Amino acid sequence: MSEAVLERIDDDLWSAIGDPTRRRILDLLLVDGDGTATTLSEQLPVTRQAVAKHLGVLDRVALVWATPAGREKRYRVDDAQLARAAAQLASVGSAWDARLQRIKQIAEAIQRSQED
Amino acid sequence: MEFGTVEREIYVEASPEVVFEVVSSPKHLERWWPDEARYEPVPGSTGEIVFGERGGGGAVVQFTVVDAQPPRTFSFRWTQPAGEPPVDGNSLLVTFDLTPSGGGTLLKMTESGFREMGWEIAVLEQQYQDHVTGWDFYLPRLASYVATLEVRP
Repeated sequence: MSEAVLERIDDDLWSAIGDPTRRRILDLLLVDGDGTATTLSEQLPVTRQAVAKHLGVLDRVALVWATPAGREKRYRVDDAQLARAAAQLASVGSAWDARLQRIKQIAEAIQRSQED
Repeated sequence: MEFGTVEREIYVEASPEVVFEVVSSPKHLERWWPDEARYEPVPGSTGEIVFGERGGGGAVVQFTVVDAQPPRTFSFRWTQPAGEPPVDGNSLLVTFDLTPSGGGTLLKMTESGFREMGWEIAVLEQQYQDHVTGWDFYLPRLASYVATLEVRP
């Protein structure tokens, strides 16, 4: 896969997770193990059609995968893909951890120099 | 975990006044983040921060002060395209909140905007992590920096 295609998928992945309803759907799937548009819409303040649309977005970025279940599809979360999305934001967090440690050291050095 | 927002808290054994100075003044910013910082630490001031060498392959990034209320809060937006006003969707918002606590300061940092900006900006942010790789780079700098600090009354 080319780098440009990978980047586009990453952008789509990020915006797929960005939507609050889709994050709620992921939460429900993680708790319940799996679900269909019908079972999920029973637990959400949105229509079955809307849930089906959100599941389509999540499916396109491989955050969930589907198996046929009668006239519907049964969805499960793809753990590896979800972990990948979470890791990206965690790395931003660790960059800030390092910056805040430096802020702390600088401020405490100034404080000590003022007290001496 | 709220996707799209990074939140951190750290306790600093220094007064809010000192901590505010360190998180807001360009001269201090250069000690803990970019190699170069040019802006006035007052609301609305627009400037830039530079990672690496200006004109020598470094990254020049837009930087605008949003709020500055010493010694309580300092916030800024960065990464907006040059010449564009920083708003939701084209920049990351960083907010420092300072609370006096047990003789020191509780410093809370929030960075938001990743959801609106998309994945690429998170990758960009991550790259800045490599610019200072940690204590190996930082400690020798700190020692010489502390030695130059003015002792204020």
